[in-house]
Amino acid sequence: MILRRLQYELAGRVAGPFLLRLEAWRRARARRGRAHRPSPFAPPLECTRKLKELMSLHYLRGRYADGAVPVAWVTSGFPVEILRPLGFHAVYPENHAAMCGVQRLVPELSDAVEREGYSRDLCSYARTDLGCAATGKTPAGRLPRPDLLACCTNICQTVLYWYRALAARFQVPLVLVDTPFVYGQSTPHADRYVRDQLEEFVRVAERVSGRRADPAELVEVARLSREGARLWGECLATSRARPAPWAGFDGFFHMAPIVALRGSEACNAYYRVLLDELEDRVRRGVGGVREERHRLLWDNLPVWFAVRELSTLLAERGFNFVCTSYTNAWAEAGMQVDPSEPLASAARAYTHVILNQDLRNRLGILRRLASDYGCDGAVLHSDRSCKPYSIGQVDLKDRLARELGIRVLLLEADHSDPRAWAAEPAENRLTAFMEAFA
Amino acid sequence: MRREYILRQGRRSLAVLPVLYPKEILTALDVLAVEMWGPPGPPRGDAAGRLQTYVCAVVRNALAFLASGHADAVDGLLVPHTCDSLQGLATLLADFGGWRKPVVVFQHARGEDRPSARAFAEAELRALASSLERIFQRRLDPDRLAWALRLHAEIDACRATLLDGRARLDLDDAALYALLRRGEWLWPEEHLAELRAAAARLSPAPASPGIPILVTGYVPEPAGLLSALNRAGAYVAADDYAAVGRRLAPAPPPGRADPWAALLDRYLAFPPCPTRGSDQGARMRRLEALLDRSGARGVLVHVQKFCEPELFDVPAIRRTFAARGVPVVVVEGELERDLSAQAETRVEAFVEMLRSGARAA
Ligand code: SF4
Ligand code: SF4
Repeated sequence: MILRRLQYELAGRVAGPFLLRLEAWRRARARRGRAHRPSPFAPPLECTRKLKELMSLHYLRGRYADGAVPVAWVTSGFPVEILRPLGFHAVYPENHAAMCGVQRLVPELSDAVEREGYSRDLCSYARTDLGCAATGKTPAGRLPRPDLLACCTNICQTVLYWYRALAARFQVPLVLVDTPFVYGQSTPHADRYVRDQLEEFVRVAERVSGRRADPAELVEVARLSREGARLWGECLATSRARPAPWAGFDGFFHMAPIVALRGSEACNAYYRVLLDELEDRVRRGVGGVREERHRLLWDNLPVWFAVRELSTLLAERGFNFVCTSYTNAWAEAGMQVDPSEPLASAARAYTHVILNQDLRNRLGILRRLASDYGCDGAVLHSDRSCKPYSIGQVDLKDRLARELGIRVLLLEADHSDPRAWAAEPAENRLTAFMEAFA
Repeated sequence: MRREYILRQGRRSLAVLPVLYPKEILTALDVLAVEMWGPPGPPRGDAAGRLQTYVCAVVRNALAFLASGHADAVDGLLVPHTCDSLQGLATLLADFGGWRKPVVVFQHARGEDRPSARAFAEAELRALASSLERIFQRRLDPDRLAWALRLHAEIDACRATLLDGRARLDLDDAALYALLRRGEWLWPEEHLAELRAAAARLSPAPASPGIPILVTGYVPEPAGLLSALNRAGAYVAADDYAAVGRRLAPAPPPGRADPWAALLDRYLAFPPCPTRGSDQGARMRRLEALLDRSGARGVLVHVQKFCEPELFDVPAIRRTFAARGVPVVVVEGELERDLSAQAETRVEAFVEMLRSGARAA
């Protein structure tokens, strides 16, 4: 246990930073002398390197976390603030599955569980993660074994089935925070229900970690969480400037800390630096896309394995995604966490995330984003893997087009399974969409 | 036919989407529940195009049906919070149109029976009753609720008797299920009368309808699947369909004077179902118990394409029965009107394999 703890701390403080610097040096050397290809993008943000370091360290520490500290696997929308004061190392299978998506590992991992009988029609994040658990294959080197599974249904019900499968595999407790869907306003009994479950959860987490939750620490984590959400929201808001200082899809990668390290000082420190850099670009008039002519809104998860291709295709014609409902969601929810009443406010905040609210609310968010960011078009990613995010998009498309007078495209894809993606037809559709702006 | 029945009834009525809901409240308010499991066949109307083709046929067909005015005979719509897709349908209809009458939702307390879940379930039952009282402008009388609870407990007992006594019935599976499924839209007292009449025809000595099978899945649609089973020489000896067996509550414990407490007990006592987020282990134990009790020799899993709640349990079902050497076959459907030739061949091959005494590898 002591040795394991030592490895965990060393991985984070000494070995990790050293290895990352070595890797950066190797890359820089490899780049030297290489001819620069013309790119429609501005040079990458300086922060991208820091982001890589931060997230790599997180995963590197994770390799040594089990046996050193209590480990929880949590859904992205889980009120993780409660776990931090109890010393948990939190693993986000969705974030990890996105990483697998970027590296196009999903078919192989999914195949492993399809052989067990899981249908290809299930969410590809779930298939990916269950595939990792079954095969042990991961681009992160190793994922620590969980002591606790924490699942919140505010993003979908899929996560409950997925986490049940994990609980059966790892034979560890699964705690569910069930958040009733909000039609209009949440009901008082639904608010009470979520709050009661958080209290029940604290007791289980205390038992698993062997520690008592310190209310003062909880207040501090809630403060950090709220501050992190504010900073992330400010980073996103820099794209209201023309040109937007970063390419919209960059946000999908830079959101990793607010997802996986929410409620920590490391997360907030990162966003302070990112915000400085983005504001500096705004002052200097530097755009993420060199020649930004059209500004688009993106709805739904990214197509992780094709982010680069899609953004290049668009940027070459002067199109930039200046806002997305997905990255925005992480700023909005966290802002509702109130350090003066951490549990009650977390119950409210996590019940009112975009996917747990009705379509009227969703339309309001899309409308507001499109107008605040001066969008003249929108692409709604119809994500085969994510029904809660995709149902309603046909109507949303018509309404946005009609009410805002903008062009809207519904693009069929999957957030991480390339087998459900037809690159050529998709590119043709996007090209035709862009031509309509001429 | 249903439309005429609804109109003839002269009762207020509510279309209800799958799966579980506290029907007793509707009955007590003298409101006819008309369940919509699709309906089967191709979508009846253009509105299905408002949903992507990777959404299940139950939801797409329901949207098409409702938005094209086919359900104009009912006074409103009740959507239990069964899955992400139905949740999406409820907000789509209410927020973006396609249905002008009231939409009421009923949310389940998911997961295990915890104090928080119990309190929420009770509050949600009462909230539903209040919404219906408002819509139908009537008060829910506790004595009527107690009566409705007794009525539905008796219906469940009768349905269970028929399912358990399948081998002693002079009905084939398609006819038995047609009878059971009439309960999805008949006024409960009429349904009970039909069930009693069928139960009276149970013969004391078991006939031998063939190889006994445990069926689990969503909804017995198309009914051709059951006929195919019978033609191949097998029959449904035990049922765990979400639409049928998983909606049979065990007999209530005696002595619950307060109808609300009895309603809550009953609601929480239904067999485990993934659409309510029940524990998967509990569902597997129940399936094993059904198999043991009925002597079924194989398991047919009959699921809807794109149905996440059901599809997530398929590997566990395979594992559970593979460990016992019991063969399992999975048939996926999309609410077709007729059974596909491919599905029929699979059913035949499966029954043939059971006949030859094969065990799961
Ligand atoms: S991608 Fe969609 S379905 Fe999958 S876990 Fe996320 S919210 Fe749920
Ligand atoms: S078939 Fe499955 S996905 Fe479709 S409505 Fe029923 S429970 Fe939901």
